[in-house]
Amino acid sequence: MRNVAIIGVGYTPVFVSKRKDVNIVEMISESVGAALNNTGLTPDDIQAVTYGNMQTFEGVNLPHLWTSDHMRALNKPTIRISTGGTTGMSTLQAAYYYVASGMYDLVMAVTWEKQSEGDSQVGLSGIVVPEAMTMVQHGMDLFSGKGMGFGGGGSTGAASYQAMSYLHHSGASPEHIDKMAALERSNAALNPYAHLRKKTTVEDVQATPMVAFPLRFGHTCPTSDGATTAIVASEEMVNKLTDGNVAWIVGLGSATSDPCTANFLEGQITDPAEQMPAKIASEKAYKMAGIEDPGRELDMCEMYNGFAHQSLMWLEKLGVCKEGEAHKMLDAGALNIEGEMPTNASGGVFSTNAIGASAMNRPTECALQIMRKIEGGHQIPKKIKKALSHGWGGMFQYVTVMVLADEPVSS
Amino acid sequence: MAEKAERSVVEVEVPLDFTYNYRVGQYLERYIKGLGEKKILGVRCSGCSKVTVPPRNFCGACNRVMDEWVEVGPEGTVENYTIGHVKVERGAVEKLDEPRLLAMVKLEGATVPLLAEVKGMAASELENGLRVKAVFKDPVSDSLADLSHFEPVGQEVK
Repeated sequence: MRNVAIIGVGYTPVFVSKRKDVNIVEMISESVGAALNNTGLTPDDIQAVTYGNMQTFEGVNLPHLWTSDHMRALNKPTIRISTGGTTGMSTLQAAYYYVASGMYDLVMAVTWEKQSEGDSQVGLSGIVVPEAMTMVQHGMDLFSGKGMGFGGGGSTGAASYQAMSYLHHSGASPEHIDKMAALERSNAALNPYAHLRKKTTVEDVQATPMVAFPLRFGHTCPTSDGATTAIVASEEMVNKLTDGNVAWIVGLGSATSDPCTANFLEGQITDPAEQMPAKIASEKAYKMAGIEDPGRELDMCEMYNGFAHQSLMWLEKLGVCKEGEAHKMLDAGALNIEGEMPTNASGGVFSTNAIGASAMNRPTECALQIMRKIEGGHQIPKKIKKALSHGWGGMFQYVTVMVLADEPVSS
Repeated sequence: MAEKAERSVVEVEVPLDFTYNYRVGQYLERYIKGLGEKKILGVRCSGCSKVTVPPRNFCGACNRVMDEWVEVGPEGTVENYTIGHVKVERGAVEKLDEPRLLAMVKLEGATVPLLAEVKGMAASELENGLRVKAVFKDPVSDSLADLSHFEPVGQEVK
């Protein structure tokens, strides 16, 4: 396989709850234009496009073909990827496959969501409802008509079991979830491409209403409008077109467990926080990247965290630290932007969630941190040599992992 | 700053019918019929011996069809829980009058816990290890609703 690097990233100018000034394809066009601008490439340079967003959320069934002109994809192969919350990283992985295989040298991955134009609940229902058994497993209130959603408050209800299990196994307290929430929202306040940009204290978080114990409203992510495009290139093109300041994709993995909208109660899994796919996918990625001790060798992490307990949980599940240690790292300041293992310096999905782009914004954040091209105030001061990005999605049971580095793995 | 007044420029009626007719499948059908007899049924995998409830056709870990039907419960143990403080009604989140107790109940003889509502106790008393018992509707109607909820059996297992 050939070495592949992210050579440029383009975001929409903002990620907000409602982009009323543009339609879907105009919004995507902004992000694609920014990526081309940032790399100095022209549309003719791009050989293929991969494209990702959530199915049903906006009710557009062939969005990639509607977008073909706006994303400069005329006369090029275009394929749509949709793997739930992981869509963004799956789309980038597909672009990687194109280039690593030798098929193409320059491929663009385009991801977005414009949640204000559709109904996320409709999209989520389309994931859950077809498998009636899933609803039984979720304890969905099918009968009383009171619409408890996924067991006590939409996705939050589903995640609450996971949070309970995480607290139980790790020894962390609900206050650690508050603290992680405050840290990430405060990081987001420094990030011009974050949605909820408000410096937040633990007390602010604790003042928000309880949704489904132990998760409060202040532990949950927003719904956002926004798009992100990344351009990946072969080593030959990196040498030809860039100054060498790129982010190499040195390891990747993905894995699924039984299909039930959970990974907290599916098939035969009994622990909502087990998340075995995270272990499987990360071990594959580390092996490929030549990483033997992730906690020591990684310089930063970008976790997919729809809910505030998840950043802590994922650090453990992805082997960055041992079980029960993440909240101690938090207490010690290690997860701060200036800390030993800066985690979600961007503010995470927890602060910005244009779903199709959410798992893309993890590796693009890592790439820009490595390239030291972060806009705003959240550039990690130390040199980033290896960065871990993670996506969580599917039917709550699909995990993607990508390790980025300042140089390719020598072959 | 006041938002610009919005107006809809076009409203189109399109012939889309979003009524879908999903089949529950053979295994859930049998499970539902079991509920109609006030029985909770699961299936055991001949490979790993795990008992899955509600029953599923296939064991992904062993790559084989599960076909040994077993009755589980009606008593079980709370393994995990949440307390719902809001409800979602057509996308809108509303505060509940009373918190609702939702638990993962590991039924006797089952490997996988069942998600269910627990009634008949205060939220503050719900904890892992609590013994609970299935309460069925009376009369039953051969539907998922026949398994109404769980109630504490009055003894705790630590």
